[in-house]
Amino acid sequence: MTESANFQNDAPLESSIPGASLESILCTQELRNRPSRPPDYETENRALVALASALADSPRTILQTLADKVFEVLHADSAGLSLLTEDERRFYWAAVAGAWRPRIGAEAPRNFGPCGDVLDHNVPMLFNHWERRYPYLSSAMPLADEGLLVPFYVNGKAVGTIWAVAHDNRRKFDAEDLRLLERMSRFASAAYQTVESIENLRLQMSAREEAETELRELTNGLEAQVRARTEELEQRNKQLTEARARLAEEKLALERSEAFLAEAQRLSLTGSFSWRLDTDETTFSEQLYRIFELDPDAPVTLEQIGSRVHPEDISLLSEKMDLARRNINDHDYGIRLQMPDGRVKYLRTKSYGIRHKDGRLEHIGAIQDVTEHRLAEEALSKLQSELTHMARVTTLGAFTASIAHEVNQPLSGIITNASTCLRMLAADPPNVEGARETVRRTIRDGNRASDVITRLRALFSKKGTIAERVDLNDATREVIALSLSELQRNRVILRCGLADDLPLVTGDRVQLQQVVLNLIRNASDAMSGINDRPRQLLIRSEREEGDRVRLSVQDRGVGFDPQAMDRLFEAFYTTKNDGMGMGLSVSRSIIERHNGRLWAAPNDGPGATFSFSIPCGPGSATGARSLGVIETPAAKDAKRVQRNP
Amino acid sequence: MVRRSLVSVVDDDESVRESLPDLLRELGFAAHAFSSAEEFLTSDYVAQTNCLILDIAMPGMTGHDLQRELKLRRQEIPIVFITAHRDETVRPRVLEQGAVECLFKPFSERALVEALNAALRVS
Repeated sequence: MTESANFQNDAPLESSIPGASLESILCTQELRNRPSRPPDYETENRALVALASALADSPRTILQTLADKVFEVLHADSAGLSLLTEDERRFYWAAVAGAWRPRIGAEAPRNFGPCGDVLDHNVPMLFNHWERRYPYLSSAMPLADEGLLVPFYVNGKAVGTIWAVAHDNRRKFDAEDLRLLERMSRFASAAYQTVESIENLRLQMSAREEAETELRELTNGLEAQVRARTEELEQRNKQLTEARARLAEEKLALERSEAFLAEAQRLSLTGSFSWRLDTDETTFSEQLYRIFELDPDAPVTLEQIGSRVHPEDISLLSEKMDLARRNINDHDYGIRLQMPDGRVKYLRTKSYGIRHKDGRLEHIGAIQDVTEHRLAEEALSKLQSELTHMARVTTLGAFTASIAHEVNQPLSGIITNASTCLRMLAADPPNVEGARETVRRTIRDGNRASDVITRLRALFSKKGTIAERVDLNDATREVIALSLSELQRNRVILRCGLADDLPLVTGDRVQLQQVVLNLIRNASDAMSGINDRPRQLLIRSEREEGDRVRLSVQDRGVGFDPQAMDRLFEAFYTTKNDGMGMGLSVSRSIIERHNGRLWAAPNDGPGATFSFSIPCGPGSATGARSLGVIETPAAKDAKRVQRNP
Repeated sequence: MVRRSLVSVVDDDESVRESLPDLLRELGFAAHAFSSAEEFLTSDYVAQTNCLILDIAMPGMTGHDLQRELKLRRQEIPIVFITAHRDETVRPRVLEQGAVECLFKPFSERALVEALNAALRVS
């Protein structure tokens, strides 16, 4: 069983009935009467040094060290320190040395015991067998014969006692013992205060640390908050900066696109305008001012615009403006300007109307200065016309011999017949019947020659495109007639498959004939090196769906490389040593001018078939365009380039 | 009665076939016309022909082809070539190859007579 039992376990403390009186158990007066030992300062000092070092080394053990030193210095059997509990209702044995060491931690009542008596009187007391008054102390074995107690002060207040006990009567405490005890008590008091203050300090420190921690945490929290807030602000700031940068970029982009637009307008010679129909308020872009050669600093007026428009186009302008006032449809038309110095500018206008929510009508549009294009186009047209004529002459140049052949053939007949006629008439009797026959043949041959000349004149004449009703079969037959001897010379076997019910087409007979001639000549040339098979050429005409007529020329020649298909119709593309490469290019242009299509396809067998298809109906003809020239693909490309500077 | 020389005309052009034999007859020759070299070769007149008036450019067998063929058959008929194709380089070439003359259409009666005379002299 534990020996650190409390006294209350042995007897009810507060309710104990005091036995002997306090006076009966006190013998404090005896201390003065007892012979006193000489002061042992050395021992005292050693004790105090021990206490001091205990205080320095391990302040928490200072009370136990005190008990040990009291026990040691006073040569007591037990020694200890009793302290009031916090509620001041009990004492507890805070430190014990000697025989009662195991009773450390025991408790005793505040108002019913030696410690309470010492505190009540605030004086040192020497007890003899205190169990006589306080029976519960009889359980503390061995019994105390004498007990010497002194008050223990902390900050001037008695909070407990220090005591020394002798368990038998061979040891009697004396005045020196009291002095030592009081001395050590005072030291202990100071030491305890120190410890307490250290503890307090520690407590304070820990509290402070806690506070600091708290503060730190708080601070951290605050810092975190500040940080979060700062971050938020930074984020906002960043967003603002970004937004500003974006704005700046957008502004720059806008400026750039405006600059681009201005540059594009300048480069493309295109200006833009808006025209409010309710107020006639008109806005011009910079480039449009340049085109109209008006002062860019002054607002533009309809009068100013009118003053720049070519006199011949004024009516066109007012018509277009009237139209614009009436509806909001798109408008696309060409108009001319005449500058004060007489220069003429060609403009192309595209505009559309928009009706605003408030009902206002505004016209917005773009105007391009196409003067250069127009002039280039005209020059090109002229060049084109020359080229076409040249190509025509060149193409026919190769046929000159065969055409001569065609003329010489009937001429030969005429002369022979004439000679025969003369001879028949000069005979005796004159062979009038024979002569008449020869004259008949002469006339026939003469007509034949005349036809050839007519055809020749048509082919060589440099006249513009004309639209007439053309029997493609007839036109083709004429070409065949012109080509026949050439074909024969080239040992080409010609077969014809001309449809009987072929409708008339509207177009330029001579130009169409030129195409047929080109195709026949190409077919013939393609077979010039062929000797292992008949040089067969098949010309067919047929009616096509959609009121169209098709003519195809099929040869059994060398064919063409399918990869070169697209190039076949390019100008100056040729596989011939003596060709200019104009034939197919010009042919395609002619057919396209007839709103038709010219194409090539390889045959199943050897050779190729070139065909064209043109619509029959009126309006399919050429001449719809004022220029009346034939455009080669190259010329179109040239125009495209100019249109897209 | 003196047998008249037979002049055969081979030409794909009908007007020549119609007119030339008439003139040849007026000039005192016997004449026969053929529309192609093949027709002439398959006729009975090859051996009888004293002079051949031959068109150069004809579909199928050309004048030159016929000349070559006759040479192969050892039929030495004097040939007067006629052509509507006026190419001055043709004449020396055909003369070199053994033709008596080469006339360009239209030719005069005198040129024809001279050529025939030359041809018949050779024979």
